[in-house]
Amino acid sequence: MNRRGFLRSSAVFGVGAAALAASLKPLLELKDFSSMEKFLQKYYREMTPADMEKVLTRITNEVERQYGLRPHVQDLKPMDGVSFVYALNLTRCIGCRKCVHACVAENNQSRSPEIQYIRVLKMPHGSLDIEKSEHDYNPEKVPEKGFFYMPVQCQQCKKPPCVKVCPVHATWQEDDGIVAIDYDWCIGCRYCMAACPYGARHFNFTKPLIPKDRLNPEMAYLGNRPRTQGVTEKCHFCIQRTRAGRYPACLEVCPAGARKFGNILDPESEVSKILATKRVFIQLKEDLGTSPRFFYYFDV
Amino acid sequence: MTTAIRNYLVFLKRCAKIAFVGDWRYYVWMGILSSICLIGLNAYCKQFVNGLIVTGMSDEVSWGVYIANFTFLVGVAAAAVMMVIPVYIYGNEEMHDLVIFGELLAVAAIFMCLAFVTVDLGRPDHFWHLIPGIGQFNFPASMLSWDVLVLNGYLLLNLHICGYLLYSRYCGRKPAAWFYIPFVFIAIVWAISIHTVTAFLYVGLGGRPFWNSAIVGPRFLASAFTAGPALIILALQVVRRVTATASAVDAEQLLDHATLQAGRPATLEDLELLARHLPELASVSPQIRQEALIGAEVLELAAGNVLLRQGDKDDAAFFILQGRVVVKREENGRFRIIRSGGPGDQFGEISSLAGTPRVATAITEEPSRVLRLPADSLRKLMKGPAMNKIVRSRMTERLLITDRALLMLRSIVQVSMLINVFLLVNEVFKEFYSGNTHVASAKYLFVGLHGHHALVPWIWTAIAFNLTAMVLLVLPISRSLKWLNLTCVLAITGIWIEKGMGLVIPGFIPTTLGAFIEYQPSINETLVCLGIWAFGLLCYTIFLRMAVPILQGRLSRANEDATTAPVTLRPSC
Repeated sequence: MNRRGFLRSSAVFGVGAAALAASLKPLLELKDFSSMEKFLQKYYREMTPADMEKVLTRITNEVERQYGLRPHVQDLKPMDGVSFVYALNLTRCIGCRKCVHACVAENNQSRSPEIQYIRVLKMPHGSLDIEKSEHDYNPEKVPEKGFFYMPVQCQQCKKPPCVKVCPVHATWQEDDGIVAIDYDWCIGCRYCMAACPYGARHFNFTKPLIPKDRLNPEMAYLGNRPRTQGVTEKCHFCIQRTRAGRYPACLEVCPAGARKFGNILDPESEVSKILATKRVFIQLKEDLGTSPRFFYYFDV
Repeated sequence: MTTAIRNYLVFLKRCAKIAFVGDWRYYVWMGILSSICLIGLNAYCKQFVNGLIVTGMSDEVSWGVYIANFTFLVGVAAAAVMMVIPVYIYGNEEMHDLVIFGELLAVAAIFMCLAFVTVDLGRPDHFWHLIPGIGQFNFPASMLSWDVLVLNGYLLLNLHICGYLLYSRYCGRKPAAWFYIPFVFIAIVWAISIHTVTAFLYVGLGGRPFWNSAIVGPRFLASAFTAGPALIILALQVVRRVTATASAVDAEQLLDHATLQAGRPATLEDLELLARHLPELASVSPQIRQEALIGAEVLELAAGNVLLRQGDKDDAAFFILQGRVVVKREENGRFRIIRSGGPGDQFGEISSLAGTPRVATAITEEPSRVLRLPADSLRKLMKGPAMNKIVRSRMTERLLITDRALLMLRSIVQVSMLINVFLLVNEVFKEFYSGNTHVASAKYLFVGLHGHHALVPWIWTAIAFNLTAMVLLVLPISRSLKWLNLTCVLAITGIWIEKGMGLVIPGFIPTTLGAFIEYQPSINETLVCLGIWAFGLLCYTIFLRMAVPILQGRLSRANEDATTAPVTLRPSC
């Protein structure tokens, strides 16, 4: 190659490299996106107890570094002989959305943009057609005359379409019926969101923002530990509470007593009795064959 | 074995090298594409850092133009099969080389598909979770895992087929049928599978009534087989244009000045010289060689002499002993190089043996010595199996982009478009006539619902384009290339909208809980899309930049050491 050719190709190469560097510049702002340890982390269901121990330590340290608060992160397993069921009394629900906000506080959801697991639908009397529902109702006083309210959250289907479509098994059904997500395994393709008939799944479109003083330090791996940008999340029946023998946050906060939760395998449980005695109960979109563990009923 | 590897590496190196060489138009084109690519990369870096919040997507409309483009491009990739079928099943020789262009387009389209899926991921760093064996591959339950398999499989199939065909051509040998024909047939079935599987991504979702319809798969295929070949029609004309040398009128004047000199009778020494470049000739016995010399002549010619002219009728075939001859064809008033050959190469043999008029014009490119053989002499030489095989193998593969081939593609587009519109009518009837509550998405799409109508202008544009294209395709007017090009542009745009804004987006509106959240791609999202399209065009241009000289014979193993013959897109005439 002659001198002129060399100079010319170096100039072209130089301009190309500079342009490439300039276009990659936004990457400089990347912080805490991932670490080698996190990148290589194993799949939840293939972890040994020792692996899990390490992961929980990593999560604890990360949360402490970020929020200045040392959390208590556990990997709670399903209890033997327990199959969770949720029942919601539509006659009682007054549409106050207290459950929505209690859920956000309990489960460390992003506050900006805010992610809510529960959507309360305002429905005209006499119809269960959710295409007639109103989502953004905001009157001075609820309930309003002529309407009833239907809170919708993850239905924990027995045949969950989201589990079927996930290409990497990042979501699955646990033995107690909870459909769980390994947030560190999700690739963020959002196919589960397209598949879910209940709008239950939510995506972290950006890094979740939780004020330091709002963090709930009682955490579970499959539950309310802080999520990262780019993964899906949803209601998990407050796994960090219910697997420790407590009620979900939405139930505890409900001022109308509309929410009931328990073990369907225990014939003495409240939910067993409700399902045994109520003449009408509804599984939302029953025709889709998803078979929800979430039942709506009326006092009749 | 080592020489085989060495040869292959040299082939790759020369291909890579040629991608950086071209005339000023080539540099401008590549410069523009590279710049758009970098702008797209920059936009993607912003998205990577800040998350998908920089797009117009939301929890409600969780897929947008990325997946829409992906869906469209899977169709384009699948449509490459429409090029293959006429050639391999019906033996349409005219489209033989065009198959390679089609398959290269498929490869570029799949690159774009993979890029569009990747930019849509929230955690691209978790990509390895998808790799079977290393990650957790939810096969066969998830249609997305099927898509991963069929798309990558299709990519490998096409890379193999066109890579092998091009390398064989580069080496100047006939491709072994067993090594590619089975793959061609697998690829035909596979092409249908990639688009069906992509349709099943949507069809399989019971919670989305707008997608949950059995007709989506057939609709996808019909629209793909419209848009794909339409895109190939446009691409082929661009190839034809940039490989053309000069307008026919200019060339006509130039050729008129050239005079064919009388030759001297050929001798056994001349055949000996030819055998050095054409080893198969060595197997011909001296007796037959002697017989073949009857009527044979050797011509010593300066550059720019016409050896044979398109449309003429005479029975001679030619072998190059020394120098270089270029074969050009007049198409639409422009001359296009079909191929160029050096010592040992033949030309004019098809019309010589078949007694048909010349399909192209052959001109010496440099001072050359050429052997001119009457048809009978050629037949004598071809009696031996070795000579017969080599001459015949070179006869079959020729870089012709004839108007007939384009019109063949037109009829594919025509039939597919009719089916596509018919299926759309079926869908619209089913949605609106039954009048059940699931019609909400379709109503929103076509006429707007509850004051929301962002998609209405899109879908009516698509319908207008598709219907106009359909009418033009049915009318004989689209036999003229100008109208055909317009038709293709209308069809491609119409189908792009129909599959993106008309199928992916309305599936999410209203939401499964009946809310209306509309979608509009953001600027950043649009830049990423443009970047990926530019990347795909860049890939396709590079592929063509490598393939065309190989098909023309300008880049071959025979001229591996020739440093003097520069390969340019537009050699001076």
